[in-house]
Amino acid sequence: MALNRREFTISTLMALAATGGLTVAARTQGTKTIAVLFDGLYSEFWVAGIEIIRENLKNRGFEIFEAISDQDDNKQFEQVRAAIARKVDGIIIVQTDSNAVIPAIKAANEAKIPMVHFNRPPAPSEAFSVAIQADNQKIARETVTYVCEVAKASGKKHQAAIMIGDLGDPNAIQRRDGFQEAIDQFKDSVELVASIPTEWNADTAFAGLTNALQANPDISLLFTSSDFLLPQITQALKSADKWGKIGEENHVILAGFDGAAPAYALMHESYMDACGVQNLFYEAEIAIQAIVDLQDGKKVEKLLLDPGFAITQANMKEKQAEMWGYVLWAKDNPQ
Amino acid sequence: MTAVPPADINQRPSGAGSLGLLRLVLSEYFVLVLCVVYLAAIYPFVPEMLSLEVASNILGDMMPLLVVAIGQTFVLIIAGIDLSVTAIISFAAVVGASVMTGSGGYLEGSNLAVPGAVLAMLAAGLFIGLVNGLSVTRLNMPSFIVTLATRMFFAGAAIWYVTFHSPSSSIANLPTGFTDFSTTSMGGIPLTVIVATAIGLAAHFLLSRTEFGRWIYAVGANPQAARISGIPVSRTILMAFLISGGCAAIGSMMYVARMQTGSPILGENILLDVIGAVVIGGTSLFGGKGKIVWTVFGVLFLMLIDTSMKMLGSSLFTIFIIKGSVILLAATVDTLRHRYFGRG
Repeated sequence: MALNRREFTISTLMALAATGGLTVAARTQGTKTIAVLFDGLYSEFWVAGIEIIRENLKNRGFEIFEAISDQDDNKQFEQVRAAIARKVDGIIIVQTDSNAVIPAIKAANEAKIPMVHFNRPPAPSEAFSVAIQADNQKIARETVTYVCEVAKASGKKHQAAIMIGDLGDPNAIQRRDGFQEAIDQFKDSVELVASIPTEWNADTAFAGLTNALQANPDISLLFTSSDFLLPQITQALKSADKWGKIGEENHVILAGFDGAAPAYALMHESYMDACGVQNLFYEAEIAIQAIVDLQDGKKVEKLLLDPGFAITQANMKEKQAEMWGYVLWAKDNPQ
Repeated sequence: MTAVPPADINQRPSGAGSLGLLRLVLSEYFVLVLCVVYLAAIYPFVPEMLSLEVASNILGDMMPLLVVAIGQTFVLIIAGIDLSVTAIISFAAVVGASVMTGSGGYLEGSNLAVPGAVLAMLAAGLFIGLVNGLSVTRLNMPSFIVTLATRMFFAGAAIWYVTFHSPSSSIANLPTGFTDFSTTSMGGIPLTVIVATAIGLAAHFLLSRTEFGRWIYAVGANPQAARISGIPVSRTILMAFLISGGCAAIGSMMYVARMQTGSPILGENILLDVIGAVVIGGTSLFGGKGKIVWTVFGVLFLMLIDTSMKMLGSSLFTIFIIKGSVILLAATVDTLRHRYFGRG
């Protein structure tokens, strides 16, 4: 039977609609889908974070809708709307800017889709979402207190520097505040001579630290607000002839934050003194549990804290098993 | 005057039927046809693409990009390029936000806060456009280098500016009178669509119905011939950059209203989309040829790709590869068209 053009057009459109309908039907019969929207995978922390979340979601039987916004808030907003249009059942998000994410929360609220911020809370607003956050200030304070005690025990006054993260990120602000609280207790032993802005950018951090070391060649205590800057720190300290092991003349007392594998490796090799550890496994677990609870209509607090801990040269053997970076390091370095 | 509006490829003589496909590829509606074909192809995988919700999302996502791309169209037609549009967006965003924010803004709480911010954003865009235009016309600098430099300068200046106006890296707490711009509708049509349509129509009228429009094409086609014909070439180039700066500032208003935040990295990543959309539409990188309606098609096509890829959950890198390929293809078609068909 020959089809005329009109019949062909109508039948083609009907076939397209039917195929589309089948796709929707197949999906609605499937499992629940969680959107995992990160702003980038620019450090080991975030790579490990998204992998742990993927693994956890898979184990619980969820499907995953993933997107990376490349630190573009507008793009992420569009991704949230795409996820909403795809009728996802929950959104786990890592935003770049704590203010710019608020329209996305409002969009999720309107669509009645629970949203959880992983490791980075939004700015205060009337919109509802749940944030998982490490107790940055406490962890940073404990970590820096340990290195200040090391500095005090050396019997001489130390010049200190801090590498600060992006100030649009509350985590960076809290880590800076925790650092400040700690060194304020050791004014006789530690003097802050350089606050180096990094914008969470490795190039900016390297240039800033290099300049700080040139301007203050006596810097002997350094705290980085994130372990992902350790390669740049290593390079800058080597260039300044300050890369020495604990006990060596040119050792800079070094403390990090996150608990990444390179941090553990440096502690293991005695180049690093302490590190504030965020418990990624715990954070992923409570983030997903929060989504599940919100789906079930349970009440969830707006902020869920990961207490974290400081791993130091003194407690390394007891605490290392809880450090996610150690778990990754141990996979590559079987004992 | 030698300048002509964009030539109509369909009017070219063609004896062979095999040229039919070539005609379609070179047709000014080719991108629109591509949009329909792409939608039909992607529909079975993402049926939501034809839902009202997604259509509304695409329309909303299109508007700021379209306004910025319209400004870029003027600059490309004069055979220039404006790489500073992303810096204009971010710089205007933080300047405007610092004027109207409820957290220590210059006009905090005043009835003039929103109009003041709008004027400040427009002034910032026009100022950067003026710097670009004067550098090109008075100093004879290539627009590529000038706008690359202003892009770097004002992107850095935006970050620096925020440090004096906010304890964080962005300026929030903007008045609802401004943020409502992104959510308000008139007669069921979003305000941003109305504004973008008005700008599009004005730009179309300017290019196709006025003497200035003819100057633009003439300068892009052959500046020497245009100068000999008595066209004020420098003034035309300057105006093109001013229009681009102004459009980028209006695009910035749309982005800021949508994100409710003045961020110094706002729009940082959309340069490829802006230039790509204009080129995909068919505006020539060699100058002298382009239409606003083509830019609309180009933006629409790019948005369809972008949205469908997002809905499929494709990785950002896949989206970059696909969009990059499409833009490369469009640029290749433009080069072939330029080589084998002259300006038309």
